[in-house]
Amino acid sequence: MKLKVASKILDANDRIAQENKNIFKEKGVYVINLMSSPGAGKTSLLETTIRNLGGKIKVGVIEGDITGTDDAARIDSLGIPVVQINTGGACHLDANMINEVLNDLPLDELDVLFIENVGNLVCPAEFKVGENMKVMILSITEGHDKPLKYPLMFQESSALIINKIDLKSFLDVDVEKIKKDAASLNQPIKIFEVSCKTGEGIDNWVKWIQTLIS
Amino acid sequence: MHEVSIAQSLLEIAINNCKNNGFSRIGNIKVLIGKASGVMPDALFFAFDGLKADTIASEATLEIEEVPVSGFCNLCNKDFTTDEKFILACPHCDGLSYTLNSGRELNITEMEVF
Repeated sequence: MKLKVASKILDANDRIAQENKNIFKEKGVYVINLMSSPGAGKTSLLETTIRNLGGKIKVGVIEGDITGTDDAARIDSLGIPVVQINTGGACHLDANMINEVLNDLPLDELDVLFIENVGNLVCPAEFKVGENMKVMILSITEGHDKPLKYPLMFQESSALIINKIDLKSFLDVDVEKIKKDAASLNQPIKIFEVSCKTGEGIDNWVKWIQTLIS
Repeated sequence: MHEVSIAQSLLEIAINNCKNNGFSRIGNIKVLIGKASGVMPDALFFAFDGLKADTIASEATLEIEEVPVSGFCNLCNKDFTTDEKFILACPHCDGLSYTLNSGRELNITEMEVF
């Protein structure tokens, strides 16, 4: 016989994401899901942001990688609570993976939790994990064609951080086009041009984070 | 690659629905996929066929209906439907303020059970 069902396929994920969100809200933690392609500078941005915040805001980090613990070691060396998730092949973090590590973080003490997603410009945009917002990084070495080639991530993100801006004079990249195309895909997107290496532009980003959680 | 997670979730929903209604095997499953959902039907077929073995859905088939992107432009106040996967602006007036009504679906609508 035919059975009528009206289920969203990602319902199971969305349900767990909502559970996570409730826990974060109860604990007073603002959660940022940080996404980018591999090598755009997610961990570098976290390091500079953490240094720039100078302990005024209590930060925790969940690191998502297919394998390895290098990123978590970098964050750990800054004295920040960090949990490494190894997805063992999956190209994104999902709500359940986050749910399983919540007890490993001192949520009561945190103001902000950064979830560093697996480096990938496609799949992480599809899965909610219980975050307050998604933020993406695009480094200018990746080229100005990326917003139109990977639109979903630009549409899902509340902010776009354009990183490695210190390399601009060495590249044939049109940063204005990146900004224009990102804004066409997602008009309210906040855009920050930064260099995690020189520290340029980091102030604006950090101030914005502070206003969001105050 | 994320089609594997989506196929896994789809399979779980189908199996639970089948068992909860007292049936033991699954036939055809109808699925709606929005063109802007980011899910590729071919990759979903492939992932589903790989995952269904040794389950009560081992002989199940997927029937995918793609849903076009449609919306309402807040600037020219007109409805639009497009064959594009992602839209940058209203197809009528190029306005950037619009509300999508369809195109992001990822739903199971009907399944055959025995």
